[in-house]
Amino acid sequence: MIGSVIKRGTAELAVLSVLQDGPLHGYELARRIEQQTNGALRFTLAALYPMLYRMEQQRWIRGTWETSANGRRRRCYRLTPAGKKKLSPLQREWAELFRALQRLTKAAHA
Amino acid sequence: MPDWQKLVREHLSGLGLDDTDREEVHAELAAHLEESYEALLVEGVPEPEAVRRTLAQVADWKELQLKIHFARIRKDMMTNRVTQLWLPGLLTFALSTGLEALVQKFGPRPIVLDLDKGTPVLMFYTSWLLMLPLAGALGAYLSKRAGGSVRMVLASSIFPVLPFGVVFLIAIPVGLVINHNLAHHIVTAAYLSMSVGWVIAPGAALLAGGLLVQLFLSHRQASRGVASH
Repeated sequence: MIGSVIKRGTAELAVLSVLQDGPLHGYELARRIEQQTNGALRFTLAALYPMLYRMEQQRWIRGTWETSANGRRRRCYRLTPAGKKKLSPLQREWAELFRALQRLTKAAHA
Repeated sequence: MPDWQKLVREHLSGLGLDDTDREEVHAELAAHLEESYEALLVEGVPEPEAVRRTLAQVADWKELQLKIHFARIRKDMMTNRVTQLWLPGLLTFALSTGLEALVQKFGPRPIVLDLDKGTPVLMFYTSWLLMLPLAGALGAYLSKRAGGSVRMVLASSIFPVLPFGVVFLIAIPVGLVINHNLAHHIVTAAYLSMSVGWVIAPGAALLAGGLLVQLFLSHRQASRGVASH
């Protein structure tokens, strides 16, 4: 079972990575993550918003209300400079972890 | 189509945030549910099933409420603690220390408490003690102005003696238990007189100032409240 720290880490990485391409509201953000990971990562409302609010408090992302073309008000999240700064080391750490796990798996099969 | 706003509002009515924040959360979550539901309909999912799947995104509303509450108030708690306790407390500490230094340099001679054989253990700067209510009042005022509770206001006013209080309450008794070489009656007398000199007397002086400000500001607030009704 994947521990909560790892889960949280991957979820935060996913959100920051997707927001790198531009601001998105919560539903669209969850949909984009699901699409880009071929359904491997899925966020329900209950998982997504507490995390977004937490990341907002940490000032990695910022949410602002915007009105879309169809007149709907949505809270759009965008990456802050602090979030951009957080993203690079996070990506490096996860890449290192996956490489290490791959090496371990190869060694086990060798 | 279900009224998503109403549904979220009902489930998250106990969200412990201010009205604006709570309304924002309700609106945002309702918009998410609405969009999920509409996307399912577009995919051709029948309406009852779309409703069921949309609602299945939240297994436990109480748990979600709690998670959102803690995620959103974290910063406020930190900010409040800084402005209501640490900042006023540290300013009180700086003022009381500055006053002590001034009194030591320019003030009248202190009252010296000694034990047997005339060993001085404590110097009482009465003029400093008389000035301390001012420092306590300043800490209390700053904390109160930042919206501090009575506990925060009073803690800010006695902040300068808290470190000494901790040392005297914990470190010295523990030291006494560990170290048996010193004569206990001397150490106990020293401990008591130092506690009075470093914690109890200045603490009481600071608290007096803090209490006066707390009472004055609470009274003023109450009068304003009555006047505005």
